Amino acid sequence: MIRLVRAEWTKLFTTKVWLGLLLGAVVLVIGFSILFTSFAGNAESGIPDVGTPLYEQLALATGANANILFLILGIIGMTQEYRHRTATPTFLTTPRRWQVVVAKLVAYALVSVAFALVVVAVNYVTVLIHAGARGAAPSLNAENLEVLGSSLLALVIYAVIGVGLGALLRNQVGAIVGGLVYLFVVEPVIRSIPATSGAYKWMPGGGLEALTATFEGPELLGAWQGALLLLGYGLLAALLGTLLAVRRDVV
Amino acid sequence: MAGTRAPRRGDIISIASTATVDPVRVEVRGLSKSFGQVRAVSDLGFTVEPGTVTGFLGPNGAGKTTTLRMLLGLMQPDSGTATFNGAPYTALPTPLRTVGAVLETAFHPARSGRNHLRVYCRAAGFPLSRADEVLVQVGLADAGNRRAGGYSLGMRQRLALATALLGDPGVLVLDEPANGLDPEGIQWLRGFLRHLAHDQGRTVLVSSHLLSEVEQTVDRVVIVGAGRLVREGSMEQLRSGADGAGTVLVRSPEITRLADVLRADGVAAVQEDGTLTVHGSTPADVGRTAFAAGIELHELRSRTSGLEEIYFQLTSGSEQFAAPSTTGQEATR
Repeated sequence: MIRLVRAEWTKLFTTKVWLGLLLGAVVLVIGFSILFTSFAGNAESGIPDVGTPLYEQLALATGANANILFLILGIIGMTQEYRHRTATPTFLTTPRRWQVVVAKLVAYALVSVAFALVVVAVNYVTVLIHAGARGAAPSLNAENLEVLGSSLLALVIYAVIGVGLGALLRNQVGAIVGGLVYLFVVEPVIRSIPATSGAYKWMPGGGLEALTATFEGPELLGAWQGALLLLGYGLLAALLGTLLAVRRDVV
Repeated sequence: MAGTRAPRRGDIISIASTATVDPVRVEVRGLSKSFGQVRAVSDLGFTVEPGTVTGFLGPNGAGKTTTLRMLLGLMQPDSGTATFNGAPYTALPTPLRTVGAVLETAFHPARSGRNHLRVYCRAAGFPLSRADEVLVQVGLADAGNRRAGGYSLGMRQRLALATALLGDPGVLVLDEPANGLDPEGIQWLRGFLRHLAHDQGRTVLVSSHLLSEVEQTVDRVVIVGAGRLVREGSMEQLRSGADGAGTVLVRSPEITRLADVLRADGVAAVQEDGTLTVHGSTPADVGRTAFAAGIELHELRSRTSGLEEIYFQLTSGSEQFAAPSTTGQEATR
């Protein structure tokens, strides 16, 4: 299994996809950090002033916004095998196909821990510099560390969900577009309609929000329940994806 | 064939080892697979022996690719078995050590050829240096660091072959490997496959829809049509036709008398445009008859070298199952 995980890393780091996604996540988190800090204390924005605990928790949670890029990382990691037809040599090398999917889940979970560490570190440093320039740099107290840790956990789980989703759908463009539409259209709609918003807390976005958000929002689960819910979705997608990958013919 | 010109890197000479491998016998028994209403493969059985190159022949849509994919555990047969020394592919401990397969050429275009090979070295637990060794073996050493997306069709085929050779397997399975190769590449491949089988004792199964493409390479043939076995045997058996005797062409100024003499011996002979076509006989027998009757001959030759014709006769009628598709995936409908 260690061999297969290392093979997945070789696949990942011998093309430049990882670099683009990591840079994208870093740029995204720098942008959000600066945006939140710029509008801190602005009465119309609703963001509290720098130096307040609530501001710091908001600004340090922006790393979680890179979740879509981690989802795409996982999706590409799985679907590239089908897109470039390398599923054939991959499954020839490892005919017990569930091992391939499990190796991908482990490989991408570990890689996204490293990537997510970069993202939350950049998040913290950006806020540290910008808020520091405005007079009140946040410290790494227990509450702020918990916020950063929650972001990290959320990003890793989204990468795992991505691998599972990719195994399920196999079509790279379809899985990415489907993931984007779901995250940015379907869930926000469900969240905003009173009749369905009760279900939102049980959905992946609700789990993510429970885990990371500090805004006043709809009714949500507790942070750890949210994390478990999110992880459950990731493992469910992976399990279904594995079962399908094992049964389906490779053509 | 390497002696016909100076050896170059990538020539069969570069395989330093003539060490033989453990013989592996491939057995297919009662294999069947349907796609919806269409039976792509129907109760197919054949054997591939070690030390030989076996041609797996049939028109497009005859079920060759489907059979090979079932052999390699990529597709689930509806019934039947395909085994390597008794074990199905999915039960082999390290399959790449037993079987190397060249199916479609599948690479990530942005990954270099060397890195492509290293991925499978890692996955199978081979040292990364194997990637460089097989690149040399197929003559791609200089292109190893280039993106596979920039490779020519012939180079892609060579990289696919290199992937198949990573585990130094006893069996090589190649699906239409000559596609995209230039004449020199085809020559090279022929020599390479014969070397792997005859000198090293490997089992080589190579599919093609053209007999002429593999005629000079293979020792045995397995011919399929419409998913069923049409003929299995050596090239000699195929050449000599169905009943062991072939067709002989004769030209003679006394052709009518020769036909009468032959018919008197009970040999079927058809006269046409100054040529006599004699069925179920050999050049030696026809020549002896003519000599005994004092008939002058201007030409006497066996027509069974027209293997393509035998092949066409064997597989004609199965073409109706050929898919009118342009996807290149045969036998999928």
